Amino acid sequence: MDFGSILNALILGISIASIWLIAALGLTIIYGAAGVINMAHGEFIMLGAYSSYMLQYYVGVPYLFCIPISFVIVALVGLVLERGLIQYLYKRPLDTLLATYGVSLVLMQGVRLIFGSDPKYLAVPEIFSSNLSLGFVSISTFRVIVFGITALLVLALWALFYKTRFGVQVRAVMQNKEMAASFGINSSRIYMLTFALGAGLAGVAGSLFGVLNIVLPTMGSSYVVQAFLMVVVGGGSLAGSVVASGVTGELQSVFAFFTNDTFARFVIFVLIVVFLRFRPQGLFAQAGARR
Amino acid sequence: MGNLYHNKTAQWVAYAAFFAALAAIPLNIDDDFLLNQLATYGVYGMLALSISLCWGFGGILNLGQGIAFGLGAYGMAMTMQMQTQTESNPIPPFMLNNSLDYLPLLWQPFQSTMLGLILAVAVPTLFCAIFGGIMFRARVSGPFFAIMTLAMLSAFYTIILDRQPYTGGVNGITPPSPFQFAGIEVDPYSPLAYWCVFFALLIAAVLAKLITQSWFGLVTQAIRDDAERVRFLGYSVAGYETMIYTVAGLIASVAGCLWVMLVQYVSPAQLDVGFSLSMVIWAAIGGRLSLIGSIVGAFVIQGAQSYLGDTFLSTWLLILGAFFIVIVRFLPNGLSSLLEAALGLLSTRKNGASPEQSNGTKPVPAE
Repeated sequence: MDFGSILNALILGISIASIWLIAALGLTIIYGAAGVINMAHGEFIMLGAYSSYMLQYYVGVPYLFCIPISFVIVALVGLVLERGLIQYLYKRPLDTLLATYGVSLVLMQGVRLIFGSDPKYLAVPEIFSSNLSLGFVSISTFRVIVFGITALLVLALWALFYKTRFGVQVRAVMQNKEMAASFGINSSRIYMLTFALGAGLAGVAGSLFGVLNIVLPTMGSSYVVQAFLMVVVGGGSLAGSVVASGVTGELQSVFAFFTNDTFARFVIFVLIVVFLRFRPQGLFAQAGARR
Repeated sequence: MGNLYHNKTAQWVAYAAFFAALAAIPLNIDDDFLLNQLATYGVYGMLALSISLCWGFGGILNLGQGIAFGLGAYGMAMTMQMQTQTESNPIPPFMLNNSLDYLPLLWQPFQSTMLGLILAVAVPTLFCAIFGGIMFRARVSGPFFAIMTLAMLSAFYTIILDRQPYTGGVNGITPPSPFQFAGIEVDPYSPLAYWCVFFALLIAAVLAKLITQSWFGLVTQAIRDDAERVRFLGYSVAGYETMIYTVAGLIASVAGCLWVMLVQYVSPAQLDVGFSLSMVIWAAIGGRLSLIGSIVGAFVIQGAQSYLGDTFLSTWLLILGAFFIVIVRFLPNGLSSLLEAALGLLSTRKNGASPEQSNGTKPVPAE
């Protein structure tokens, strides 16, 4: 084994990590802020991919503009879902898990009815589909773009949660809902907005994944379990998800380098279960974390 | 007079009536295909029963019941596959296709039917005991445990998919001939196969019912309602949780064996996340607090899927998903809680009509 291929695996690991992370970002927000286990997250990702496809195919919007518009569309879907269903279930965390699974069935089948189950493709500008080579390392330009967008989103979320009034309110509600309410924070509104924000982030992830893979009604289900694991390993905080995705992405890339991709995923799943056995609260437990 | 729904004698009468009705089916049907289909519903009923026991009575939401089911199914499929291999041809064809020219150690015990059957049930049960023991001792509970079972399920799914020479990969294992036991061939389309499933379901249901009525079942239900209080009373919460989780796993692994006996086929799809979640849907719609309710839930949903699914092929999942959402939102204890409420209403009305109860005392609502 030469140095170059190991370096290549490590760089690929960063790319895998950014994919794991962007899939988990929205879920982190929703789980971290509201304690909702959103099984429909994968379908939000799928909706993001389909809204980009729709915008591109029917309206002719250039790809880069599809990403923010997908954010808005999926955020609106999330908003409707939160108002119509989730807000009644905050006291029953297991039931939110089940109800959102029902939602995921409905969304998946609804999209299949509208668009059919044949694969769709997202077109990207020429320059994204090339390869970037740095010395002896070569990586597709689009993966660099994904990494860049992920980094940008993490930065933006950090700024939102730690530098704005809204962020203070969200963190207050997270720590103690009743206390926050007594200071005049409308926790119901905060939950609604964070849920919409999390859904919107899934929309962004979807419009990126639509390029990396093909767009299918069932594409979401492959992301939802791994996104959950990132959130749980991270402990539901933004920093936790970043570190968890980074470590697992690298580990997966290294294991895949020595064995194959499927076996690497198996090892990762088992390692996560073992890790959570010893640290059920995750990497960075929040102050006053819920059980 | 209390609510008839909570009357133990009435419950056992309901069980007797339910199983008598199931026993009458093969006597009145001579469509072999239909009988085989009904028998698979019986297997699904066992799965829903195991979920109800674990989740409804133990408070442990298990999204990975497919592990026990799938491992049991693979064990059975391996046993049946090895039954068709002879001295001169000891290696299953799919292994030869994967250029494996010797029988792997993993497969060797399955050359003996008895040992194979024991392993098919013992391995998943042991897995549940160990995995459950480790997790519950670390006080992993609620949604966390659900996600852990999901992770474990995905791990098994990927490893079975990956080790193609040993497991048949995505194609799975398709034993060419029916299961043989003690010189008898169990034709999956015969009444014999139906009776096997019937008695397995009967034993599992009676066992589960006895468990829930026992002192052990009382403690698990207390743990479901408030684990912390039970812990402070000095009970080993982890021990009870592990036990009920393992019993549920045992039932699911037997269901896995029977399922392969009926369909002569197993693939990683049996360990798919969607299948494990549909077991939870059956129990949730039927009523997780009622063992028989969950079994009926499985029958109704799977029956509807087979018959409505043909006419509403494209909208079936839409209907099921929407129905499930409505149940979770408005009727968290499933359809059987409607029956409970109806019977409760009946008994309170009777009480209200009797003169000694009518002077202002409100009847106690059925709980």
